Amino acid sequence: MELDIIKDAFDRISKKQKLSSSKSQEVIDLVGLEVEQALGKFQSAHDPTSPVDQKSVLTDLKLKLNAIGPLHQLEGSQKELNLNLSKYQKLLEKFLNPDISKAYRNVDFDFHIVNQIVAVHFYRQGLFDLGDSLLNEAGEPEATALKSQFLDLHQIIEAVRVRNLEPALKWACTNREKLKQNSSNVELKLHRLQFVEILQKGTRTDALNYARAYLTPFASLHMEEIQKLMACLLWAGRLDRSPYHEMTSPTHWDNLTEELTQEFCSLLGQSYVSPLSVAIAAGVEGLPTLLKLSNVMSAKKQEWLAMKQLPVPVELGKEFQFHSIFVCPVSRDQGSEENPPMLMPCLHVLCKQSIMKLSKSSTRTFKCPYCPAEVSFAQCRQLYF
Amino acid sequence: MIKILEPSPFTYFAREKFFPFFLKLEMDSLPNGTATTTTATPAAPTAPAPAPPSSRLVHLAESLKLEHQFLRVPFEHYKKTIRANHRVVEKEVSAVICGVSEAADSDVSNDDAVHHLSSLVSRLQGLKRKLEEGSRTENLQAQRCRARLDHLESADAENLSDWNNMRLKRILVDYMLRMSYYDTAAKLAESSNIQDLVDIDVFQEAKKVIDALQNKEVAPALVWCTDNKSRLKKSKSKFEFQLRLQEFIELVRAENNLRAITYARKYLAPWGATHMKELQRVMATLAFRSNTECTTYKVLFESKQWDFLVDQFKQEFCKLYGMTLEPLLNIYLQAGLSALKTPYCYEDDCTKEDPLSQESFRKLALPLPYSKQHHSKLVCYITKELMDTENPPQVLPNGYVYSAKALKEMAKKNNDKITCPRTGLVCNYSELVKAYIS
Ligand SMILES: [Zn+2]
Ligand SMILES: [Zn+2]
Repeated sequence: MELDIIKDAFDRISKKQKLSSSKSQEVIDLVGLEVEQALGKFQSAHDPTSPVDQKSVLTDLKLKLNAIGPLHQLEGSQKELNLNLSKYQKLLEKFLNPDISKAYRNVDFDFHIVNQIVAVHFYRQGLFDLGDSLLNEAGEPEATALKSQFLDLHQIIEAVRVRNLEPALKWACTNREKLKQNSSNVELKLHRLQFVEILQKGTRTDALNYARAYLTPFASLHMEEIQKLMACLLWAGRLDRSPYHEMTSPTHWDNLTEELTQEFCSLLGQSYVSPLSVAIAAGVEGLPTLLKLSNVMSAKKQEWLAMKQLPVPVELGKEFQFHSIFVCPVSRDQGSEENPPMLMPCLHVLCKQSIMKLSKSSTRTFKCPYCPAEVSFAQCRQLYF
Repeated sequence: MIKILEPSPFTYFAREKFFPFFLKLEMDSLPNGTATTTTATPAAPTAPAPAPPSSRLVHLAESLKLEHQFLRVPFEHYKKTIRANHRVVEKEVSAVICGVSEAADSDVSNDDAVHHLSSLVSRLQGLKRKLEEGSRTENLQAQRCRARLDHLESADAENLSDWNNMRLKRILVDYMLRMSYYDTAAKLAESSNIQDLVDIDVFQEAKKVIDALQNKEVAPALVWCTDNKSRLKKSKSKFEFQLRLQEFIELVRAENNLRAITYARKYLAPWGATHMKELQRVMATLAFRSNTECTTYKVLFESKQWDFLVDQFKQEFCKLYGMTLEPLLNIYLQAGLSALKTPYCYEDDCTKEDPLSQESFRKLALPLPYSKQHHSKLVCYITKELMDTENPPQVLPNGYVYSAKALKEMAKKNNDKITCPRTGLVCNYSELVKAYIS
């Protein structure tokens, strides 16, 4: 975008505005001066022998003010400013999209739902005051359950930040079974961090006791890891100068915070990234295409509102791909249960309907549209993404 | 070598299900111009290539073009202040000139003349103070316009994620201001230190009017109409007329008939030329009174008319400041959900990372169209990563497909044995084949 041009245009405005302001000051001063001078003539003329001719002083003043033409002067500077103001507005309209609501469908967009979504977004970011404040101001019911869960999460994270693993360990212990189902070893990682912490700050005996109590239950599944940790006992108190110095790196704490958050959200049935952030980011990426489309379709408002599927693709970044979508390169149809993707012996993939068509309902062999291979329907098999 | 000319695969199938004018859009985006070539060159189609790194910046440039309101609103505010300040100066200076003329043209005593001129001097001094204050406001507002330009300029590849977070906050503040959740809006702006990037002060002006309308008072709204008279006239707004109608209705409700008629003569009659029908309808309430059962007139007395005025005011207000009529949040959310919506989103196994796995987002997306894909986008079931040329899809003997990366990892850990996570089938790594998907 031509930000430089816009900026220059704005600089001209603010220059003209300052000019116009000082012009106004100047005009007021000029007028004031004349009036004061006339006033002076009256006040200095207390000599009764030569009374001032008030009429002539006032007429004189009137003529002088006319000669200054203050209103004319004011108008002149303002005119120039106005010119620049309207130029700037036109520039904004030229370089930016003046109406991004053009692609908006005026459908029922339930603001109660939106309020809940925003409040939960605040809660998950640890902005509990804001979430409460919003629900209160909007007169929405409290989202107590989710709030208290995210409160737990933020207490755990806050404790980790000050190197206190207790709340995290307590949570991991209570949710051991579920974490196991998720094949997460976050509990072991927590104990490992705690163990390393003791090795650095506590005594060797403390560390050994800790290992016996908390690390041994993991031995059967993570033997290698446990052996390594036990070897660290040799360098208790000087781990940072040992072959295992990597274990003392602060990045372990950052990574663990991230992993904890991920596992915590996962057990809650929530995503790691705020769904509101994801949806808005997708909107920012997708909106330019939708606006172009609505321009093309502006004559067909009804079709725009009635369509069940967008007529053109809205390309989004990798981070927004949540589902496998197979598009047949021949028919451009999206794969579905009735029309699944099929792998041909040449390893090219088409949808079932395309293969049926090419093989005349599987009555004859056909040539693959992408390579010279001869293919029969019987040789093709369904794919599952 | 004889090459048999084959029609392009695209000609096999009629594509008339698209409206003709989409065809253009579509064709443009087809790769290799396959739609127009007649020679089918047998080439192995490759998996979708990863987006080039520059596409981030293209997206960024495109998204900045959506920020019209962000620049326009403080500019309108600035413009308004400039105009108002100018009007004050003009008015006062011409009052002084008139004062002098009048005095010069009439017979005043010496004392009167002194008194008169002194009052003009102090009037000019008062104006000067006002002007200084006005300039200060102008400068502050100019700074705000400038800050927004700088903010747009500051977006680059390095700080993109912070910048995007801030954009979300701006969008949320906009939403809350429009919904009249002023306290929360102010709290968010303050705690994120983005006061210059949101329009809290602009909405303060709206708040006064909205609060009054909710208390069934039209006076502040009428003042607002007077302040913005020329611009409302230019956009052919009939908001003032609607306010006047409501005031008239209130007089009829109070059975203050004589006053109602006087009021109508003074304030409604001027709108007769352009809005005769509405005028007649409302005048008829004099005959029917507020307890009427006739539906045409009954609605005019209902209290939801006041809600309607609030909505009407919000629209006029947004138009005047160059804002979208809908909150930005709704616009972006709708666009995003449309772009994300696939038939798979409403299935139970929709991944949690997809906003559309959540009931609330699903409900919002219900009336929106599904997205469309021109090319396959395949996500590995195991790693959730996109499968492309670098990480191609591989097929197990049972037809289940996973990314090469995931399968390689699995083979490494399990002595070249592969277990299908969805069916439990066990096979050898060597049994896998690569699938070519264009
Ligand atoms: Zn082939
Ligand atoms: Zn989904």
